[in-house]
Amino acid sequence: MDSAIAQKTWELENNILAVEAPDPSSDFIFYYDEVAQAMSLKAKPWGNDPHFFKRVKISALALLKMVIHARTGGPIEVMGLMQGKTGGDAIIVMDAFALPVEGTETRVNAQADAYEYMVDYSQTNKQAGRLENVVGWYHSHPGYGCWLSGIDVSTQMLNQQFQEPFLAVVIDPTRTVSAGKVDIGAFRTYPEGYKPTDDPISEYQTIPLNKIEDFGVHCKQYYALNITYFKSSLDCHLLDLLWNKYWVNTLSSSPLLGNGDYVAGQLSDLAEKLEQAENHLTHSRIGPLGTSRKKEESHLGKITRDSSKITVEQAHGLMSQVIKDILFNSVRQSK
Amino acid sequence: MASSSSSGLTFKLHPLVIVNISDHYTRVKSQLSLPPSLTSTSSAATSNNNNNNSNGGENNQNPPPRVYGCVIGVQRGRTVEIFNSFELIYDPSTRSLDRSFLEKKQELYKKVFPHFYVLGWYSTGSDAQESDMHFHKALMDINESPLYVLLNPAINPAQKDLPVTIYESELHVIDGVPQLIFVRSSYTIETVEAERISVDHVAHLKPSGGSAATQLAAQLTGIHSAIKMLNSRIRVLHQYLVGMQKGICPFLVIVVQIKFSWNYVNI
Repeated sequence: MDSAIAQKTWELENNILAVEAPDPSSDFIFYYDEVAQAMSLKAKPWGNDPHFFKRVKISALALLKMVIHARTGGPIEVMGLMQGKTGGDAIIVMDAFALPVEGTETRVNAQADAYEYMVDYSQTNKQAGRLENVVGWYHSHPGYGCWLSGIDVSTQMLNQQFQEPFLAVVIDPTRTVSAGKVDIGAFRTYPEGYKPTDDPISEYQTIPLNKIEDFGVHCKQYYALNITYFKSSLDCHLLDLLWNKYWVNTLSSSPLLGNGDYVAGQLSDLAEKLEQAENHLTHSRIGPLGTSRKKEESHLGKITRDSSKITVEQAHGLMSQVIKDILFNSVRQSK
Repeated sequence: MASSSSSGLTFKLHPLVIVNISDHYTRVKSQLSLPPSLTSTSSAATSNNNNNNSNGGENNQNPPPRVYGCVIGVQRGRTVEIFNSFELIYDPSTRSLDRSFLEKKQELYKKVFPHFYVLGWYSTGSDAQESDMHFHKALMDINESPLYVLLNPAINPAQKDLPVTIYESELHVIDGVPQLIFVRSSYTIETVEAERISVDHVAHLKPSGGSAATQLAAQLTGIHSAIKMLNSRIRVLHQYLVGMQKGICPFLVIVVQIKFSWNYVNI
C-alpha cells in the first residue's frame, strides 16, 4: 500500500492529469471541421485579447517529428512549420514539417525563401487528406534553452499581425538528450506596447552567458503557454506494444557518452558566470548594494541552481551506469 | 504466401514511421465519420454512415479504410534503415498511382532530408493481399526491390506483438511460372536517443520540469520498467531451460541474441 500512497503523492506534486483513457471517441480531435474552423477564423476572438490562447495541445506525431528534426540539425538551428487548428482557448497542433532553411542571423528573410516550399507542401498535404492549415512555426535552440530571442520576437510579432492564429514553439534537442526529458516551450508575443497586467514568474532555466542579454531584454514581450500532449487510441496501443521492443534501447542508452561536448560547454559557461559574479561583488564593495527586487535571485543563487542542474544530470547518467554494472558485470551465486 | 525471407537483409524500423502510419489511418478514419456533437447541427458534412449512437466512429458499416504511402530511409550495405514515411494517393479500384504527386513529395522531402530515398511503401490491413502486388510492381521503377510495410490497425488488447510486418518480394517459380510473391522479413526497432525520449514522453506522459527529486524518480522508474522487462524475459528463458532439463520441453537450439551496446563494459 505504501507504493500506492507514494505514487499518489508524486502525481499530486507534479500535477499529473490522469490520462484520459483513450477510447475511440477521443479520436475525434483528429476530425477537421472545416465549417467550424472557417467560422472561428472570421470571428477572431483572439483579436481583442492578447492573452486569449492559454494552452497548446500537441499530437504525439508532431512532437516526435519536431524533436527528431531538431536533433538532426545538431548544433545548427533548424526550423519548420506546424499544422493544426484552434479549439476554444487552445491551439491544437496535429502535425509538423521541416523547412529547408538553415539557421542564420537574418531569419526573418529566410522565411521568405521557405514560402515556396510551404505552399507546395501544404498543397500536397491537402491532396493527401490532411486538411489543417499552418498554425505556427517551430525552431530549435540547441543547447541554450527554450525562449524567444530578439529576432524570434520580431518574427513572431510579424506573424501574429498577419497570419493569426500563429504559435511559436522552441525545442532544445541537446538538453532533451542530456536531461532525458523533452525540453520544449510554446510562446505567443504581446503586441507592441502592451503591458501584461500580471507578471507570471516563469520556470527558471539556465541560459548561457553569451545569450543572457538577448534573453533578458525581450523576456517580458511574450508569454509561455501550457503544453499538453494527446495521442489517438491506435497510437496508444502501438506505443504500448513498441515498449516491448525498445526497452532494450532504454537500458542501453548512455547519456554520459552522447553529450560530452555539451557538458563541457555548460561547465565553462558556469565558470564564466562565477567570474562575473565575483567581479560584481568586488566592484560594489563600496557602498551598499541597491535593494534588489524581491523576485530576482542573487547572482550566486542562480549559479547554484545551474551547477546543481549539471550535477543532477551527471548523477543520473552515472546511476544508470552503476545499475547496469551491477546487473551485468558482477557474477553472483543466486540464493 | 508468406514464408521467411532469404535475402539476408536486416531491417531497422524507426518508431516515427509507425506513429506516422497510425496518424494517417486515424485521420482518414475520422474524416469519414462525424463526431456526435456535429451530427445534428452540421449541414456541410456529407456522411453515409449511420450515427445513431454516441460512439458513432466505431460502428461504421463500411470496412475500415486502407491508406497508402511511401517509406523512405537509407540502405547501407545489407542494412536497410527506415526513417520516415509520407502519404500517397492511390485508387485501388482503378489501380492507379498518382505519379506526379509521388514525384512532388519526393522532391520536397529530398530538400529537407537529402540522404533519404524511397525504400518501399506502406499500407494498413490485416494481411498482405494479391492486389497489393500491383502497387508493389508500380514502385519497382523507383526502387528495384521495394519493401512493403503492413500495419494492422485493429486494436486487440490481447496482442503482445507489434502488428507491423515487413514484406519483401521474391521471384519464385510456382507451377512452372515465375511469379513475384511476398515473403515476410524480420526487423528490429531502432531509435535515435532523442526519438526514444520523445516516444517515452508521449507514451508514459512523464512530467516535465519539477524538482530534482521528481526528475530522479522519473529517470529511475524508466530504468526500473526496462529492468522489469529484462527480468520477465529471462524468467521465461529460465523456465524453458528447466523444462528442457526435466525432459518436458523438446530440445531446441536457443539463440539468445543479446543486442546491447558496448556501453555496458566498464566505463
